[in-house]
Amino acid sequence: MSIFLKYILSIIIFFPLLSAFILVFVNKKAEGLLRNLATILSFAEFVISLFLFIYFKSNTYEFQFIERFSWIREFGASYFLGIDGVSLFMILLTTLMTFVSLLSSYKYIKDHVKEFVILMLVLETFMLGTFASLDVLLFYLFWEFMLIPMYFIIGMWGSGRRIYSAVKFILYTLAGSLIMLFGLITIFILHYEQTGDFTFNLLKLYNTNIPLTLQIVLFIAIFLGFAVKVPVFPFHTWLPDAHTEAPTAGSVILAGVLLKFGVYGFFRFAIPLMPEAALILTPIILVLAVISIIYGALVSIVQKDLKRLVAFSSVSHMGFIMLGLFAMTAVSVDGSVLQMINHGISTGALFLFVGMLYERRHTRLIADFGGLAKKAPILAALFMIAVLSSVGLPGLNGFVGEFLILVGSFKQYTIFTIFATSGIIFAAVYLLWMFQRVMFQDITNQKNEDFKDMTFREIMTVLPLILLMFFIGLYPDVFLSRINPTVVHFVNIIEHNKYAYNLIKAKMGLFNA
Amino acid sequence: MLDLAQIYNGYYFEKSLLSIMPEAVLIVFAFLILLAGLFNSPSKNSLNSYYLALIGIAFSFLYLFMLSDHTIKGFYGSIIFDKFDVFLFTAILLSGFLTILMSKNYFDTRSVLMPEYYSLVLFSVSAMMLLVASLNLIMIFLSIEFMSICAYILTGYLKGESRSTEAAMKYFVLGTFASAFLLFGAVFIYAATGHLSLYKIHNFIFKQNYKVHYAYNLHTFLAIGLILLLVGLAFKMSLFPFHAWTPDSYDGAPTPVTNLMATGIKIAAFGVFIRVFTSIYHFDVFNFYNILWILAILTMTFGNFAALLQTDLKRLIAYSSIAQAGYILIGVIAGGYYGISGTLFYLLAYVFMTAGAFAIIIMFENLNLTSVDIKSYSGLGYKYPLAGAAFSFFLLSLAGIPVTSGFMGKFFVFSAAIKSGYYWLVFIALLNSAFAAYYYIKIIVKMYMIDDEQPNIPNNYNNMAAAPTNGTGARASANGETGLVKEKAVPSALLIAVIICLIFTLILGIFPQPFISFASKSVTSLWSI
Repeated sequence: MSIFLKYILSIIIFFPLLSAFILVFVNKKAEGLLRNLATILSFAEFVISLFLFIYFKSNTYEFQFIERFSWIREFGASYFLGIDGVSLFMILLTTLMTFVSLLSSYKYIKDHVKEFVILMLVLETFMLGTFASLDVLLFYLFWEFMLIPMYFIIGMWGSGRRIYSAVKFILYTLAGSLIMLFGLITIFILHYEQTGDFTFNLLKLYNTNIPLTLQIVLFIAIFLGFAVKVPVFPFHTWLPDAHTEAPTAGSVILAGVLLKFGVYGFFRFAIPLMPEAALILTPIILVLAVISIIYGALVSIVQKDLKRLVAFSSVSHMGFIMLGLFAMTAVSVDGSVLQMINHGISTGALFLFVGMLYERRHTRLIADFGGLAKKAPILAALFMIAVLSSVGLPGLNGFVGEFLILVGSFKQYTIFTIFATSGIIFAAVYLLWMFQRVMFQDITNQKNEDFKDMTFREIMTVLPLILLMFFIGLYPDVFLSRINPTVVHFVNIIEHNKYAYNLIKAKMGLFNA
Repeated sequence: MLDLAQIYNGYYFEKSLLSIMPEAVLIVFAFLILLAGLFNSPSKNSLNSYYLALIGIAFSFLYLFMLSDHTIKGFYGSIIFDKFDVFLFTAILLSGFLTILMSKNYFDTRSVLMPEYYSLVLFSVSAMMLLVASLNLIMIFLSIEFMSICAYILTGYLKGESRSTEAAMKYFVLGTFASAFLLFGAVFIYAATGHLSLYKIHNFIFKQNYKVHYAYNLHTFLAIGLILLLVGLAFKMSLFPFHAWTPDSYDGAPTPVTNLMATGIKIAAFGVFIRVFTSIYHFDVFNFYNILWILAILTMTFGNFAALLQTDLKRLIAYSSIAQAGYILIGVIAGGYYGISGTLFYLLAYVFMTAGAFAIIIMFENLNLTSVDIKSYSGLGYKYPLAGAAFSFFLLSLAGIPVTSGFMGKFFVFSAAIKSGYYWLVFIALLNSAFAAYYYIKIIVKMYMIDDEQPNIPNNYNNMAAAPTNGTGARASANGETGLVKEKAVPSALLIAVIICLIFTLILGIFPQPFISFASKSVTSLWSI
């Protein structure tokens, strides 16, 4: 057991890759076997990852389950893994969402099942590696390769303009990543020049002393890489396309996990590496975040396509998370991290429901539906819960996260928060209005007459998410108590840097008005 | 193990011979192949020359391995065998080895093979090695000519095809022109310094820097000489304004020869380039690196833009190899211990990914007899899942996506350049990489993602071979009925080449440590000539 716990992160990261390798040897024709095996293996992976949760010490911000091996001596890069309260839940979210999306794709994915399940498992490995690595080069390796399986998933099993969307997705994120690489290498070289130590160890790089002007340039470079992933307002254009054309499983992973990488990157890399630049650029980023919230919400209202609506709602919700993170108070960052989990669960669930509607009717246009609640009461009820969770109804998870974000940021950035609050109201408008048009009213379209309710498998797919919505909504302390020490430490680093920041502010006369 | 250097220590002539042993073995085998060709039966497709060529390469490797710990100077200091050579010889021999593996199958299906083909390949490989080992301007010129003449003949080897002949002619005319530049440059340098040996030129410049009364026009002579030398070498490295021959020759040449040109010749050219320009690094009359800086940016930008417009796969790879030369040049510009070892590492990575890509192109060319038009790659990823996956992997490596050797190479070179303070250069190079990813991905899109609007949807693959491949002309599917896949097994030699490339591309991408050490160690010998 002790050996298991010592290498648990490596086991968790590479178990999906091993599973994918096993599946390579399964006959292509045995589609049922492939699907079942992949689902079972991903469930096993989820169970293994629960050990992290059980053995996680919740009273410290220090990194846990650390593994470290020399990797490339010349660059000082090492295989360095470790998690804190934030990456713990990101890893759990990843293993859960992968399981759920594999379970959801039994009917949706009809061709090339083998390739699909293998790609999903490979993708899982790289996502987990990104969350667990504390070495910058290792992180970048996982981070960028992750695009490739996702690109294939969108391009091969997507609908409509899938090739356009897939290429757009990969080029946007690749361009962002490469500019980010420039920033990371520069910090690495700077650290070498200051200490004479070639190292990619993130914890050592935190101590790099970057001159302020360079810091701002580098922050912008790294910001581009992460902001494309989040996505923040002007960099979001790949998202609606990718989300809309991807297969359900792809959308679930995209919304559930991939978007979190941007925020996680800010939390783990951009802000602690360049705290002063982050503080200086905070107002600009907050403006972008608030624009994302309102713009995403307004565009959602007018969408005719269900999936596009959910996709734009993601832009809006991710804006909240950015607001919480960059407000940089303990409460708001807590809320932001919790909201990352919430968004994964709620939006993932919404995409699952949209996928179910699509599988039955082969359309995603809101106008084609109507009155489904009579034909499919279970679907309507569960869908309602997911919608309300996304809207932020008290008692469900969305409320806790958004509440913490708004409370935390209010004191520091009152006006931004007031504007952001309107996003919640808009969310109620577009989601509830959509739900009303799809589920209630009379059946206008003859094709909806024989609309089938959820099958057992479908219920099992969404059930874990629905239960989590209630659980987080009613008893968030299980999550917050583990997140909080990490977040407090993070905020302390920023506070520590605020002293220097205030000096600079006084010197430069910035934002005095 | 038998220590040759110890035995021959003290015997000058034998020591000279020892210094070119890896090259000499290849030349011996090249002649052996010609001899053995007399006893060839025409039906056997010159099998014995194929095996002899492989054995020759193996023996050369053996000598390389036996001598690898020594530094041997021979022929009055015009040839050197040192750690730097060991690394580049390995890369060049690998390139030759992979080329030979690909050749057999390629020429079998076209039945034009003669024994002299393999002998020419060995000759040109040995010439590349001599070029890297040269420490003397005359020797450099001789080796370049030796290498080029072999390459001209090999390019025009498909005698029946006008494209091949045209490619050879273009290559020959432009190549000779470039050689003239090189020779002219050597003359100027000799006029300025009175030396032909790189070692003596290095010492001369080093001493002159401290002399106040050094004649100014001699500086000008030296500068002109270096620029002319650069032009001659830039031609072989296919840097931007001197690249014009590349697409045509790469396209027209038999694909294995294209591979040899893209990998071996480029490595040799970069090797000698590094040798020459590390030995004049004390020469600071004008900032030579500014010229290289601009050349690098122009080369990669032009290569990538031109590659974007190509529809022919071999031309696309040709332009992409121009862009790659730009990236490699960044390492040379970054200079120093870190930059040069990055360059060497990139060159090694480049051999495997390019050779792998060409091997797969040959595989597709032979299995389908389709053209190298990108359109004909539509849906191939489904038809040949493993070949498609391997090809995608090589393309991703060329694009510089992590987990592949291409990423590690780029990362190494770029971080060296940032270390030397070339921020803008790296920034432009990174934008270029992002841009370049598009055309690599375009091929993958073609292989795996078929537009719904097109008639060929993945569900009936068999129609794909039968469907007329647009505008392919001569090599279009002659027997393109159905089930081509099952009937023709992938030839083992080609498969071995692909597997070697695949394994090394992956290892260099994930566990590059031993190779980086190897590259770093080999660089140390450069400054202690």
